[in-house]
Amino acid sequence: MASMREIRSRIKSIKDTMKITNAMYLISSSKLRKAKKQLSDIEPYFEKIQSTMVDILQHTSELDNKYFDERSDSLKKKKGYIIITGDKGMAGAYNHNVIKLAESVLSEDDENLLFLIGNMGKQYFKQKNVRMNEDFLGIIQEPTVFRARAVAEAAIGLFEARKLDEVYMVYTKMLSSVKIEPQLLKLLPLEKTKLSNYDELKTKYEQIATYEPSPNKVFNHLVPNYIKGLIFGALIESHASEHQARMMAMDSATNSAKEMIKSLELAYNRARQAAITQEISEIVGGAQSLK
Amino acid sequence: MSSTFYLEILSHNRVFYTGNAENLILPVLDGEMGVLAKHEPMVSAICAGEMRFKVNGEWKIAAVGDGFAEIMPEYVVILVDTVELPEEIDVRRAQEAKQRAEEKLKQKENLIEYYHARAALARAMARLKVTGKHI
Repeated sequence: MASMREIRSRIKSIKDTMKITNAMYLISSSKLRKAKKQLSDIEPYFEKIQSTMVDILQHTSELDNKYFDERSDSLKKKKGYIIITGDKGMAGAYNHNVIKLAESVLSEDDENLLFLIGNMGKQYFKQKNVRMNEDFLGIIQEPTVFRARAVAEAAIGLFEARKLDEVYMVYTKMLSSVKIEPQLLKLLPLEKTKLSNYDELKTKYEQIATYEPSPNKVFNHLVPNYIKGLIFGALIESHASEHQARMMAMDSATNSAKEMIKSLELAYNRARQAAITQEISEIVGGAQSLK
Repeated sequence: MSSTFYLEILSHNRVFYTGNAENLILPVLDGEMGVLAKHEPMVSAICAGEMRFKVNGEWKIAAVGDGFAEIMPEYVVILVDTVELPEEIDVRRAQEAKQRAEEKLKQKENLIEYYHARAALARAMARLKVTGKHI
């Protein structure tokens, strides 16, 4: 049986750790509140921009635009991935899930360029032999439209210069307040077929929409805007998910610390009781031998 | 009463307006465009400027940033970067932004900076225009 002193020092160390996890829980929950407000502000826009794009593409006839170019002529597709992770760990499986999903799609080819957002992704992919763009590392802390625009411009610029043939984004979606899930989203080139899996949507207007002033001009203006909106939405979703994950992880850590303390205190009391009993029996034994 | 269509105006940070409208005037790439109910299906790019829409016979004015509009016979969806009512606009900030953008345009930096400055200038001008304090 462990001695009382040992048990006491263990209880103390667990209590110290619990203070940290509890503080992190409180920080995350207040940050989450802020992030959730931002999320609920942008959510209508984020969903509408996706459904509107589907709608628009359904009303579009064959179109020869640079953003729809499938690059079927290039044998080896150069792919770009925007990977959104957190800056810190201690968030349960949040970062791990994103990296796992990214890794599973990355292994298909070797000519990839990663746009890493968040420090955890950088730490992981640094050891691998991949090309990385680290210009946007810190923007997950405080996602803004301007930073999202910078990411979108970088990705679109490389796409237009044919340095990338396809652009994807890996982010975490908040499905409900307890469920978060990593997602893979294709940004470029736009695919008519893939975007139109929206069949439930009644296509009331079968006719082809017109474009003002011209289809090419409209899409050249619209697509960067669409991508910027998507990236910004994904940043906000990931940001909120990260705090959600950290809050849950820290909450369960605090709870298990409490449980450990409870069982250790029981053991401590037992040890203390045993020590007292032993002392009494020693005294009694000593007194009897004096008689 | 004239016929109406369903209008949705959304920006990054809020749902600006949802409901019926009778008339809508948008700033598009080559000028302004008016939309009434039963408009032909159309997709249009919006550039920073002044947007007006008529609800119950009353015109409402707002400053919008870049974005796009999906126009269908029965509904219109407008997705823009920013949208503000005249009373929400900080005139001094807009004026400062305008000045900053003009200075930047004069410096002739690289092309991307030039586009950013031009867009910023367009936004600032749009804001100043709807507040009616346009110089």
